[in-house]
Amino acid sequence: MRSEKGGAAAVQQSVPTLCYNCVAGPDFMRVIVEDGVATRIEPNHDAVGIHPGGGRPCVRAYGLVQKTYNPHRVRQPMKRTNPKKGRDEDPGFVPISWDEALDAIAARLKDIQSRGLLDEAGLPRVAASFGHGGTPRSYMGSFPAFMSAWGPIDFSFGSGQGVKCTHSEHLYGEYWHRAFTVSADTVLTNLVVSFGSNNEVTGGVCAVRRHADARIRGVKRIQIEPHLSATAACSAEWVPIKPKTDAAFMLAMIHVLLHETPRASLDLPFLRDRTSSPYLVGPNGYYLREPASGKPLVWDERTNRPVPYDAPDAVPTLEGEFTVPLAVSRLADQEVVRHENAAARTAFTATVETMRRYSPEWASEICGVAAAKIRHVANEYVSNAHVGETIEIEGRTLPFRPVAVTLGKTVNNGWGAFECCWSRTVLATLVGALEVPGGTLGTTVRLNKGHDNRLVSVVPGEDGFMVSSLNPTGPADWKAKPTGRNAHRTLVPIVGNSAWSQALGPAHLPWLFMDKSPEEWPQQRAPELWITFRTNPAVAFWDTAKLTRAIAKMPFVVAIAYTFDETNHMADILLPEAADLESTQLVPIGGTKFIEQFWEYQGVALRQKVVEPEGDARDFTWIATELARRTGLIEKYNAAINRGAIGSPLKGESYDFSLPTDQVHDPDAIWDAVCKASTATLSHGKEVRDLAWMKEHGFFVVPFKRTDWYLYPSLADQNLRFELPYQERLMRVGEELRRRLHEQGIHWWDEQLSEYQALPEYHDVPGRWVKAVEHHGGRPEDFPLWGITTKTMFYSAGNNSGVPLMHEVGQNVRGHGSIILNAATAAKLGIARGDWIEVRSIVAATRGRAEPVQGCHPDTIVIPGQHEHWKTPFAKELKFPSLNTVTQMSMELTDATGSGADVVRVSVRKVDGPGKAGRP
Amino acid sequence: MTRYVMVADLRRCVGCQACTAACKEANATPPGVQWRRVLDIEVGEYPDVKRVYVPTGCQHCADPPCMHVCPTTATRQRADGIVTIDYDLCIGCAYCAVACPYEARFKVDHPKFAFGEEASVSEQARFDEKKIGVATKCTFCVDRIDSGCAKGLVPGRDPDATPVCVNTCISGALAFGDIEDPDSNVSHLLAENKWFRMHEEAGTAPGFYYLWDKEAP
Amino acid sequence: MKQVVQAKLQRYWDLRAAGNFSFGGTGSGLIIAAALAFAVGAPALAVVVAIVLGLGLIGLGLFCVWLEIGRPWRAINVFFHPHTSWMTREALLVPPLMAAGAAAVLFDIRFVFLAALFAAGFLYCQARMLHASRGIPAWCQKETVPLILSTGVAEGIGLYLVIGLVIAAAPPAMIAAALLAAVLREAAREAYRRGVIAAKAPEGTLAWFSLREEKLLTAARYLAIALLALAFAGLVPAALGGLLVVATGWGLKVMLITRAAFMRGHTIQYTPARGRDSSHAVMPS
Repeated sequence: MRSEKGGAAAVQQSVPTLCYNCVAGPDFMRVIVEDGVATRIEPNHDAVGIHPGGGRPCVRAYGLVQKTYNPHRVRQPMKRTNPKKGRDEDPGFVPISWDEALDAIAARLKDIQSRGLLDEAGLPRVAASFGHGGTPRSYMGSFPAFMSAWGPIDFSFGSGQGVKCTHSEHLYGEYWHRAFTVSADTVLTNLVVSFGSNNEVTGGVCAVRRHADARIRGVKRIQIEPHLSATAACSAEWVPIKPKTDAAFMLAMIHVLLHETPRASLDLPFLRDRTSSPYLVGPNGYYLREPASGKPLVWDERTNRPVPYDAPDAVPTLEGEFTVPLAVSRLADQEVVRHENAAARTAFTATVETMRRYSPEWASEICGVAAAKIRHVANEYVSNAHVGETIEIEGRTLPFRPVAVTLGKTVNNGWGAFECCWSRTVLATLVGALEVPGGTLGTTVRLNKGHDNRLVSVVPGEDGFMVSSLNPTGPADWKAKPTGRNAHRTLVPIVGNSAWSQALGPAHLPWLFMDKSPEEWPQQRAPELWITFRTNPAVAFWDTAKLTRAIAKMPFVVAIAYTFDETNHMADILLPEAADLESTQLVPIGGTKFIEQFWEYQGVALRQKVVEPEGDARDFTWIATELARRTGLIEKYNAAINRGAIGSPLKGESYDFSLPTDQVHDPDAIWDAVCKASTATLSHGKEVRDLAWMKEHGFFVVPFKRTDWYLYPSLADQNLRFELPYQERLMRVGEELRRRLHEQGIHWWDEQLSEYQALPEYHDVPGRWVKAVEHHGGRPEDFPLWGITTKTMFYSAGNNSGVPLMHEVGQNVRGHGSIILNAATAAKLGIARGDWIEVRSIVAATRGRAEPVQGCHPDTIVIPGQHEHWKTPFAKELKFPSLNTVTQMSMELTDATGSGADVVRVSVRKVDGPGKAGRP
Repeated sequence: MTRYVMVADLRRCVGCQACTAACKEANATPPGVQWRRVLDIEVGEYPDVKRVYVPTGCQHCADPPCMHVCPTTATRQRADGIVTIDYDLCIGCAYCAVACPYEARFKVDHPKFAFGEEASVSEQARFDEKKIGVATKCTFCVDRIDSGCAKGLVPGRDPDATPVCVNTCISGALAFGDIEDPDSNVSHLLAENKWFRMHEEAGTAPGFYYLWDKEAP
Repeated sequence: MKQVVQAKLQRYWDLRAAGNFSFGGTGSGLIIAAALAFAVGAPALAVVVAIVLGLGLIGLGLFCVWLEIGRPWRAINVFFHPHTSWMTREALLVPPLMAAGAAAVLFDIRFVFLAALFAAGFLYCQARMLHASRGIPAWCQKETVPLILSTGVAEGIGLYLVIGLVIAAAPPAMIAAALLAAVLREAAREAYRRGVIAAKAPEGTLAWFSLREEKLLTAARYLAIALLALAFAGLVPAALGGLLVVATGWGLKVMLITRAAFMRGHTIQYTPARGRDSSHAVMPS
């Protein structure tokens, strides 16, 4: 195609590629290139009917042109000349050659190799941090193969991922229904009760399109959250609620279902056959088990006696109290207790009794929502569940339960998140709406195997449930000595030990322990070499001043750097990588994946080099290969690629595209082999597409079964049950963990141990943040408001705060770069729109312009995004506030999963200007 | 006869500004100039509050005040209803901008670039001196429509003949087409749904329709 | 449900545009005043000075506009659209106005009546220009036309009284005319105020009437009327009141162009149905 401009003919190309700047991706796009310059982004209309978002990327993708040609880019490798590190120290970066930079890194790495990859405490000497939810992996080329070749690396220094994600949902969601994240079956559901789930902003194009279609179809979404977000705006109803009180609302909904609606309105067969509801619970709270087999007992309605849960022809009784003549229970550390004529009740009855106290009136006091409203939402939930109905999908008849409950960030992480996740999942089970058409679904797995299709992880485990891989807590196998600085295997059994587990441990503990390790804990040393890529914890984490000081203690930092930023300000070497439009990588697409990527296809798509890299930026695959070569790891590195470290294994049953391991391969050769292997794998050897084909066509897909969106058929086929509502195993694991820690003299994790309950007992969740003020030496009355944050689509993630286009279009949305507060609250404080105000917590203060609105709870202020940059070019000029600056980071605000939340008690006052940004 | 109109389904729009950003790139508009944008409007009082996202821009009015006031005839109306500006005629008096009830017109007197004084590589490639010192606004991507139609494509149906904002819209809120064609998507949308147009009291007969509910069956 | 309309102040036309309405209004008013003065027997010199000054002021106003437009070197294009554009029409009247004025000065003073006719047309075009600005409620109000006309005439006669101070005292009829014009202007201004309130103009436009500057201006306009009345009674020099009429007229137009000119803002008539059971409030029209 040629276009005329100013008389000269410009050669114009449209190049297919993808955007994966946030967890809701990847999404397709095309880049228009004129005379070798990328000038604009377009949707890829070839993907209509394949991509659930119709081949359209979101607003962030349109910033990639400016990102590519940002004059502030780091264009050549640089080294630090000022050995002192700190916010106020000029790093004195000077340009160096790639050889000098890579040799300097290789020398460090080889020195570490010679001394051992683990330090005296058994912790990796090399650490690496990558940003936003695994997405950097789609931009780091073959670096995973280098890391695999290297050996132990500490991934536990969080930059927001790990604790600022939907953390408890990841852990409990995956434990209960293979749901690393949870979604409504939006395309079929009739009612969504959303507690702060911000789909319209963070759900990506797939979620936005699905929900828009659902609205036209007539879905009803009730959005319960303190601030009228875009999602609340697009909902039928907004119910303002006090921050961190969602658990009370949901427990009251369960109360209504169990105590105020007829039993027949619940899905009793589902509860009986697909959950642990009929399991008999003994007087000690543990399941009563058949002595011989150890299997949990149920009360057989037919024979009127206890039988193992899987006894053929038995009809388990859902509800009631019984006397069991002979049984055992299995306590912590394999201790077995024998029971004779034990009083027993079903897990369901135990649940009914526990929920009795959580009436809507009780919840109303806590959340500030009228009891009648809570009752109304609960009743609407039941009445929309269509209990008993079925639907046929791909020839299979499945239950149809078009109701769902979804949770947002700050609801499903930090204290109270366990109760919320449990309540949400139990609400689904009560009406049989878990993992069935129309109901509450998981998207994918990350802690279990089966990233491409989570159903492969549905295999029988203990007690009639799916298998679960908890970190051991027994006296012999508990990891008393942390293997990473966040001690995920030591402190958090439920996070498991998959490739993703470490990053999902308590990712702020390593930062806290940089100051001082707690008692009876190995003295932690900073990693000798820290690699960062697409991450900026100095801005994106909590208590950023403290965090910045901790980063400054890192002895040697290698930052893959696009521009200067607040984190690489402390770097020793900056390596400019070829950015989004300048490098090549094959990325898996399709199937089911967060946030709402439910496809009827799966396959691979190419993120390709659309234009030549700016300056001397290099493809990350080239960087990884060079590091492997210079550290003597090239054979292991190539072998890792051959094994499938960066895509499908290069050798399969019907093909072999393996790379010779003793040679250095250029990026195109590597990706050519991966393209061929991946397409061969997907097509079962029928089709092999090389890099050239992928460059032209952009993606390769094969069908993905619609029934594979749902877990229920796999469970039903294997006669397995969801491990709900009763949490016998977690109770046992918690007790074992308590014993292990106490054996080591560790008592600083005791509060977290209280979360290991068979059934949730409500605790004063918001009160924990109030107490944290007191414990920090402050007076609660001095901080009378809640500070929370909300994402904006322009900055959901993606390292794009330095892209002016995002700022420009962001200004069209209220609250951009401001502090949102209720108009009446603002009026009381004498604050008008545009006034400079200061939000102060016990930790620090942040300043921004006021945006008084009607759609905000009077007790709450909201600071959108994560800004307050002081180094990132362009972004630093904006003088935006950030909740991160003022959010407390502490052990007491850490829950049992190791997560916290973006919540803090604050005061607000009018000031005369921006002041000194980001300073306590 | 052909009359091209834009339809924005307010039930769908989430205010993501993808259309705004895509329009800016497609038309290489300088910072602050947004031919297409989405308003974020709040209605009501706490706790009974609503937020509405309203895509806006030139409404390509049937009776465009901008055209009437223009002293140079730079602003014209095509037979298909599209209101255009001839940058070679316009003197940049901005009279059209104050005559437009939709705040759809822009005038930039000096080159402005995203990162400051210097144009970035992509901005250099797209810079058009003709747009400096004159009025500019949404053209409904008239070049795409014309080149698409020349290839036998149908505006509103085929992406290559359709305004960029419509192609971009992730929620499917924006639709474009010929309102005179009873079978066009916009004709169907307007027949099946309730709609309003903005500032009808100004007598402009805008070619921009907002859907807000379905018609009662 | 109430919609919060965030109407913005227009920034396309600034003091330079206000300059055109001020100088052009006064200038055309002054030529009308010259004709009036000539009719009531004023000395020819005063009439000639008034014509020259009036044409100069109109030229100055147009120069202000020339400074404002983005493409000044193709300003000639302004003449291309007499069919509907009041700006073209205003521009088209300038050459005959200048010619008639020059003819009055150079050949026959009686051309002043022709010049006054063109000046009135010019002033009317200015009034209609604002009225045609449908994006600005403060301007497109129908009461804008008599307001612009009356203030232009009042300023013109007022300025003539100042000329009278230097050349030859203005005849009492001119003082009476000035007084009448100032009163009519005040009536037009009050009608305008009521009009924009009734039309529910944007808050910023309505706020104009309670601005401190506007209160001062209003007081000054009343003072001008009082001074003219006193001058008519021979108690103070007429030029004093005349000067104040001119100054307050310019103040009024600066306020109207740069401070009161809020855009219409964006309003919706209905909030959309966001799925089942969502209410859609009907907006006030």
